[in-house]
Amino acid sequence: MTMSKPMNTTLNIYGQQVDSRLLIGSALYPSPEIMKQAILASDAKIVTLSLKRQNPAEQAGAKIWQYIQEIVTETKGFLLPNTAGCKTAKEAVTLAKMSREIFKTDWIKLEVIGDDYNLQPDPIELLNATEQLLKDGFKVLPYCTDDLVICQRLYDLGCQVIMPWASPIGTGKGLMNPYNLETIRLRLPQATLILDAGIGRPSDACLAMEMGYDAVLLNSAVALADNPVMMAKAFAQAIVAGEQGYVAGVMQQRQTAHPSTPTLDTPFWHQQG
Amino acid sequence: MNVFINGQQISVGSEPTVLLALQHFLSTEQQKQSFAVALNGDFVGKADYQQTSLNQGDSIDVLFPIQGG
Repeated sequence: MTMSKPMNTTLNIYGQQVDSRLLIGSALYPSPEIMKQAILASDAKIVTLSLKRQNPAEQAGAKIWQYIQEIVTETKGFLLPNTAGCKTAKEAVTLAKMSREIFKTDWIKLEVIGDDYNLQPDPIELLNATEQLLKDGFKVLPYCTDDLVICQRLYDLGCQVIMPWASPIGTGKGLMNPYNLETIRLRLPQATLILDAGIGRPSDACLAMEMGYDAVLLNSAVALADNPVMMAKAFAQAIVAGEQGYVAGVMQQRQTAHPSTPTLDTPFWHQQG
Repeated sequence: MNVFINGQQISVGSEPTVLLALQHFLSTEQQKQSFAVALNGDFVGKADYQQTSLNQGDSIDVLFPIQGG
């Protein structure tokens, strides 16, 4: 093994210890009640949410906010507001400041989107916004692509947590480029790495944890499942299995077959040749 | 004087502030809820609503918590 991690460690978010390695979104569920049940079933302690315009006739947002507050109170968890929809550093910085006032947290999941088709993060605006927010006292959790150099730049700026994508948001395509993700883990051993976006199935989350990722952030994979509550439990188990697999140390692959059963004194064995 | 709140044009009198515009735009119920404000793309903290004056054509965003991923 090139890396090692002590058993029973907790997730470290800028010094805050969190006893779950699953971060979960609050969007796209069939109903607020199913959202609540699924998030509780997931054992997640960090719930993402957002800010949007709301006109006087609308009340739906208030109900969702009430549910999310209940969840966080019940789990003794944490809110992680995002800057979804922002396309420039200025927009993201303003939205982060608005979130900090409402949610009373300096954590921000920083999203700055550069392309409408695949919702790919804009690396230049992302770095710009990260620099401004870190200087303003935010604890930035940047959502970025699986580009090693962008991740290194974010880390150099002072991000203790970095969140590369598995694949574009909402696609459920899983880990598009495992090599890139493994390289980021190898090159940034001190960073808290959270795989964010594109997760489709529990085995995707398990694979990320087996690579040594510290946590997984997902939303659609649970919310859009036929049974979100059951899927939430499946992800919780997959993440624990993957982390334990990583800590236990996966065997080295071998080029040729090796019998598992001892060959000495094998019955009916005949020397060939 | 006319300003925009969440994209809607409203008339707010001759010496408007952010606070007056919010009282004009938001329902009584919404004024009790959690929300945050930006003026022309810059954050305005709650403590500054009363002192922040508005100009013709200013654009206010009032944002509320909502689900997100």
